[in-house]
Amino acid sequence: MARYQAGDFAAARSLIERISPPLHRFFDAQSVSRTDADDLLQDAWLRIHRARHTYRPGKPLLPWIYAIARCVRVDHYRRQVRISTREQRLEGLSEVVPDAEGSQAPDLDELLAPLSESQREVLEMLKVAGMSLEEVALATSCSVGSVKQKVHRAYEKLRQTMSVMDLKKGQTGVVP
Amino acid sequence: MRDAEIDAALAEAVRVPRELPPELLERIADSIKPSLQPVRPLPATSLLTAGLVVIVAAVALLGAARAGFQGVAALGLPARVLIFGSLTILGWITAGEAAQEWIPGSSRRISQAGLCTILSVALLAVFGSVFHDYRTDHFASAGLTCLFTGLVHAAPAALLAFWLLRRGWAVNPVSAGFVTGLLAALAGVSMLELHCSNFQALHVLVWHTLVVPVSGAIGAILGWAVSKHASRTTRSAAA
Repeated sequence: MARYQAGDFAAARSLIERISPPLHRFFDAQSVSRTDADDLLQDAWLRIHRARHTYRPGKPLLPWIYAIARCVRVDHYRRQVRISTREQRLEGLSEVVPDAEGSQAPDLDELLAPLSESQREVLEMLKVAGMSLEEVALATSCSVGSVKQKVHRAYEKLRQTMSVMDLKKGQTGVVP
Repeated sequence: MRDAEIDAALAEAVRVPRELPPELLERIADSIKPSLQPVRPLPATSLLTAGLVVIVAAVALLGAARAGFQGVAALGLPARVLIFGSLTILGWITAGEAAQEWIPGSSRRISQAGLCTILSVALLAVFGSVFHDYRTDHFASAGLTCLFTGLVHAAPAALLAFWLLRRGWAVNPVSAGFVTGLLAALAGVSMLELHCSNFQALHVLVWHTLVVPVSGAIGAILGWAVSKHASRTTRSAAA
């Protein structure tokens, strides 16, 4: 990041290649369509680029990046609420194409679907971006205790959902 | 189901590969290339904090120099130490929080509402312990004048604070506006304590303290207006 701040294009490019996949996933969970996630990723990088001088070398990078990405996501969410009705959003859901066709592993978006926006956001940062609780707290501008609470509630909800899923699989005879 | 099983399910889901098209990454890299120039990182938070404290003190002192130091002149030494010592500590805390608001991913020790509560309660406690004249002569008229004077002095402090933090990047403009408004309010309150010689307890408790939430609210509204304007500009640019 320090080299990117110094104007090194190769450093900027390698950062884009490394950070973009988890960031894209972060947007994909909310934005429904892949095209939207692509646009949000591009928007996030433009904002990161404009705000690159606010990163202080030596400080953790991911909270800084995700704080900006979160801002892009919130702006997009607000825009969507303004311009679309709930029915239109649900129609859009059917257009989602699974990324790994034929894969037996559950999709992360599917798993996190029953969670609230803030719980999903925290789990994505922890599990996809591999951030620590402290880093998530910095990125979301809240305390570590609050992050822990969100994770705890998310796990409670996931436990219920996954138990129901297991029960259904058991009833239909599907071997997990 | 145990946490470990949920962890395993999440880990398995995360392992599902999700490749991004190389042309998308290429497009992103190309979009930033023309403006990729070396940038100077922001100064340390402590420097920004010190700068903000200096701004608050300077505005308060200049305001009082213009209007007169009748208030501080009529106060005893213990009251001066208590009032201005508290204002300095509160100013330092608020300036630190205001500086953090303009740096993405920086730590927040106190929530915005918590900060407003701390400032208001601390000022009420200090004023309550210093002023014991419980008469209420010209309560509304004198009070509104002080509220107006406080806010008038908060405005230049807010503008100068914004100038100092102009290179920062507020993730939440409403919150940044609110905290900057709270900081600017301290310039107004300090000026009132230097200038206002109305020592009626209720006057000071109500009208001087009221500068804090009112200035914070104005800052939040301005932050909201700025973010609205910015998002409208971005949308029209994208269209």
